Amino acid sequence: MSAAKVKMREKKMRNQPASVQYPSSSSNVESSTQNGADAPGTGKNADPLKGGLSEVHPSTERQKKTPHQSGWVRGHHKDGGGYTKEMPKYITAGAFARARAAEVSAMLKAVRKTTSSSRVFEALPKHMRRRAMSHNTKRLPHRLREVANRMREKSLQAGSKKKKEPAKSKSRKARRRHGNLLLEFNRRQRKNIWLETHIWHAKRFHMVKKWGYCLGDRPTYKCYRACYRAMSSHCLLQDLSYYCCIELQGDEDKLLAALSQLTSKEAGPTFAAALCLSGRRQGSVMVYRAGRYPSQPLGPVTFLWRPRTQGSVHRQLWIWAHPTLKQDLLPELQTVCQCCEAVLPPAAPVEVNPTLEAESEPENTPEAKPVPGIKRKRSRKDATGPPAKKILGDGTRLPSTPVSWRSSSNGLVINDLTMEIVRYRLIGPQSHSVLVDTLEAATGCDEVQKSQTCSLWWPQHCSDEAKMTLHQQQADIFNILKGIYSTSELPSGTVLGLTVDDPRLTLPRKRVKALPCVKQAQEVDEEKRRKLMLEGVPEPCCQSFIWEQSVRDNVTDNKISEQELNRMRSEVLVPSSRLSPTPLQGRVPILLVHQPGKQVGHEMSSWGAGWDLLLPKGWGMAFWIPLVYRGVRIGGLNMSLKHSQNKAAPHFPRDYPDCPAGMRFQEEQEAELLDKFKRHPPAKRTNYIKHGCVAPFRCPWQQLAEEWEIIVREGGSQTRTTAQADAVTEERTSQRAISITKPPSRFTVLRNRKALRLLSAWCRPTTSKGQRPCRVGELPPISCEAVTSFLSAHAMSLVWVHVSLLSKGKPEHHAMLCVPTPEDLKALGNRQGTGGPQEPPHRDHFKSRIKRRKKDPKKDPKKAATSSVTPDKPDGKKADLIFASDLDTNASKDPKSFSESSSDLVLGLWPDPLPSVASHCSRVTVGWVIQGDFSMSAGCGEALGFVSVAGLLNTLLNQTSEHKGKLLLRNPTSLHYRFAKINIEV
Amino acid sequence: MVRLKSRYLLCEVNVSDRSQLLLLDDRAIMVAVKAAVARTHGDYGAAMCSIRFCVKYLNAHTGIVFLRFPKRCYKLLWSALPFITSIETRGQKIPCFLNCLHVGGTIRTCQKFLIRYNTQQLHRMLPKCKSEEEKQQVRTAILSCSLTESKEAFEEDSESEEEEEEEE
Repeated sequence: MSAAKVKMREKKMRNQPASVQYPSSSSNVESSTQNGADAPGTGKNADPLKGGLSEVHPSTERQKKTPHQSGWVRGHHKDGGGYTKEMPKYITAGAFARARAAEVSAMLKAVRKTTSSSRVFEALPKHMRRRAMSHNTKRLPHRLREVANRMREKSLQAGSKKKKEPAKSKSRKARRRHGNLLLEFNRRQRKNIWLETHIWHAKRFHMVKKWGYCLGDRPTYKCYRACYRAMSSHCLLQDLSYYCCIELQGDEDKLLAALSQLTSKEAGPTFAAALCLSGRRQGSVMVYRAGRYPSQPLGPVTFLWRPRTQGSVHRQLWIWAHPTLKQDLLPELQTVCQCCEAVLPPAAPVEVNPTLEAESEPENTPEAKPVPGIKRKRSRKDATGPPAKKILGDGTRLPSTPVSWRSSSNGLVINDLTMEIVRYRLIGPQSHSVLVDTLEAATGCDEVQKSQTCSLWWPQHCSDEAKMTLHQQQADIFNILKGIYSTSELPSGTVLGLTVDDPRLTLPRKRVKALPCVKQAQEVDEEKRRKLMLEGVPEPCCQSFIWEQSVRDNVTDNKISEQELNRMRSEVLVPSSRLSPTPLQGRVPILLVHQPGKQVGHEMSSWGAGWDLLLPKGWGMAFWIPLVYRGVRIGGLNMSLKHSQNKAAPHFPRDYPDCPAGMRFQEEQEAELLDKFKRHPPAKRTNYIKHGCVAPFRCPWQQLAEEWEIIVREGGSQTRTTAQADAVTEERTSQRAISITKPPSRFTVLRNRKALRLLSAWCRPTTSKGQRPCRVGELPPISCEAVTSFLSAHAMSLVWVHVSLLSKGKPEHHAMLCVPTPEDLKALGNRQGTGGPQEPPHRDHFKSRIKRRKKDPKKDPKKAATSSVTPDKPDGKKADLIFASDLDTNASKDPKSFSESSSDLVLGLWPDPLPSVASHCSRVTVGWVIQGDFSMSAGCGEALGFVSVAGLLNTLLNQTSEHKGKLLLRNPTSLHYRFAKINIEV
Repeated sequence: MVRLKSRYLLCEVNVSDRSQLLLLDDRAIMVAVKAAVARTHGDYGAAMCSIRFCVKYLNAHTGIVFLRFPKRCYKLLWSALPFITSIETRGQKIPCFLNCLHVGGTIRTCQKFLIRYNTQQLHRMLPKCKSEEEKQQVRTAILSCSLTESKEAFEEDSESEEEEEEEE
């Protein structure tokens, strides 16, 4: 019975008398006070009986009577209705009389008191019922009126209590008024920041609150395939403004010296890569804690240098990081740059309009109050403007929080530009045509405007000849883009600075699909185009004014509002013609950054390439709508995950289990999945123990790496079978007990380029159709010595692998990657097309324990745990044997913790001290899948995950050349192994 | 409305030695009734008795039992009750017989009848009392179950109020 039902029943049976009888075992004598409280009706019967013996005054007994009664419980009473008295030897007439009287009173109570489940009028016989009795109590018989009135009052109160807060004081119209709406919006984004496109997204997307932002996860309409098609043939748009930008300023050599501590050359090009340093390319690096290269990674960042200005060593660097990475990265940067001196935001308010400030000060809402340091849009310049202002930039930050740090010793400056720059990502081969269609290089301004002194930045620039020639060059290159066939033709990471007109002016009246124009392509000079494709954008053209704080602020402050623009449009002589001359405010400096597509592997090379569009804040929606009108698809977080999955690139933070952010993500994911699992009724849950899945919701990488290290160390390079692995298991448990004293070395993800290249060559089959001939001539072939030397350096490492299934099957996350036995491979060779082997179902030994615990919850949990440990029925199945022995060792070693863990047993999940993860099943596990899906680009199931380097090498050594790199993949909810091919792509 | 109809039999367990009455429990009575029905009516009766038969209430002091039978076959089952001559409980065999006092359609009518019956019995006891002390006790008992009627109606409402508040 559910709790609600029990409660309901209790309420109903409150007034019903309980059976009066003596308990079957009269041994336990308890206090009579409890009895009196529990079942006083019965107690009153009993007490006089005892009173007959011990001569207690009946009157005092009667006082003890409390009319509250335990309910009338159906069936046999376990403890005899709470009646715990020794049986009297004889009965007196007086006692008997009292028993009678007590029964009468109990029955009287039962008869007279209606249970609360029925109203007064419902208890009336039918012929006395009247219409609308519940509404009008005067229709009831007089004797019942009082009770009914009381009941009615109570129900009215209860009704009002439910909707406790009175209806909103303001009418809907008032609430929807622009100023009030903005106030409300500002209040709502106190906790989680909204992007500039939030409202657009919120109308169309499932929003999630993540990393302190409100982000669109996936659209509410069906578009999974459409989005994939957009990515592979047209263009997909994403708002990536939640990425955090950190600006570093200072002398080049000092900056490089500081930053070199964070990276290592072994893992690829660093901050100092020549192409990136010139500002022509965007680079990406893996950042580590200062000086801790292989062991303590932080996460991947992309960075962008501002091109050099003549005769200056002062450089500017933007580092773009994921919000979860920022909290780790920023302190690290501060230490390496020795920037501990926080530069407080300027104390004097830089208000454009002092009257406005004075006006908005009286109201005490912190959002509406213009605080120095937080940039606010001045939507109107006149003093009668709306009091509430839309927050641009980071609204959650306290105004006094420093956003900039300066070093006193080396002159480096760190600025936190979070939410200062809008970043849109266009993915797909046609993204350049969308850009070309949407944006137009800024038109110059005529002489009259130039001569005027103006606060706007563009006229000032127009008067400078050098700047105008640069602008002209940039515009030329931008026009060349029209002639390019696909975005992926450009060198990856190319940067192009530009100044463009307000794209709202050229908004098409209908949504159109931007396509490359063949005619324009022919017009463009072939020579120039080839040069662009080969060399990228020349260095001076990478310069943009978006790098300058003053210009950014100027542009943001002077944006024409939508309303103003519409007013100007309505005044145009010919309706729907273009505004001319273009209003001066509408010139925006932007930066276009090319994003590389798939860089690893042989197939689908440079899939998913695209452009990133960087804008000054405040202009988000002004660019968003025109882009949407060019027929792009919009993707959310879900799609960016699929994008990186198709690119076979790890996705931060999900695929970085060794980074702090990745670990946090894993914990969150586990809690979320466990919660989801527990929401199912127990009978409908997957029993993961029976499926032999030790950890369905998380991947214990550390344990896996440790186990494989021991296996390899013990066994050397011998042929490994599961039996031997089992033997090692015992040692592992003992080893673990020892290793508690000394901190075990952490597992790492292998990112050393050389090592990866070697591994990649080793796991590639030497003869295989559909693969390019391997260029591994210079690399040493796989052998025992090579493996041993390799393992000495990377024994505790994991390696990122790309798994593609050979037959059918769709891998899911946390699927196991296992080593096939020689028999399996033989079977694969004989009969192509048959599925893989099957895992024998495991036994759930915890089930009985859970049941037992449920049966008698009072029983000592410790006792329950130890009693059920007895290893029963050795039926020869190996897994069970391991299990039993494991349990025994665990229980004997640490019975206390074990019993504790048994208190939070969940049916179908392993309790916390996990058994050996590597050798739990009939096939030895080497790794897990992190994300897997049916890949629409490859047409088969594909997955990405990590395997233990030691385990992988061990496997490769024993495999023949034709089956090299073949593993088994098994989903957590299935017993079926599927053959899969692993690739390590560098 | 649609409901499963039952008949409730209000029976009195009569024993020669009253102190043996205290040994009774509902399980024992259930077993005894079932055995009697099986003996007199065979398998058919036993099957009838297995559905929705239940001992709703037992007072071991007064020997009052509420039995619930399905309305369809209560006469058949009722006819087996006189054949109960003893009830076995806690290793003892209590010789007794069941005297049916009332047959009701709801528990409520049985309860109402029981109130009337009990007061009547108390009144009958009063003249038969042997000592003064006994007489006094019986008198207080009679008073306690008659006086409260008016008072209780007032009390119970206030109590229920309190209970309600506690729940919330």
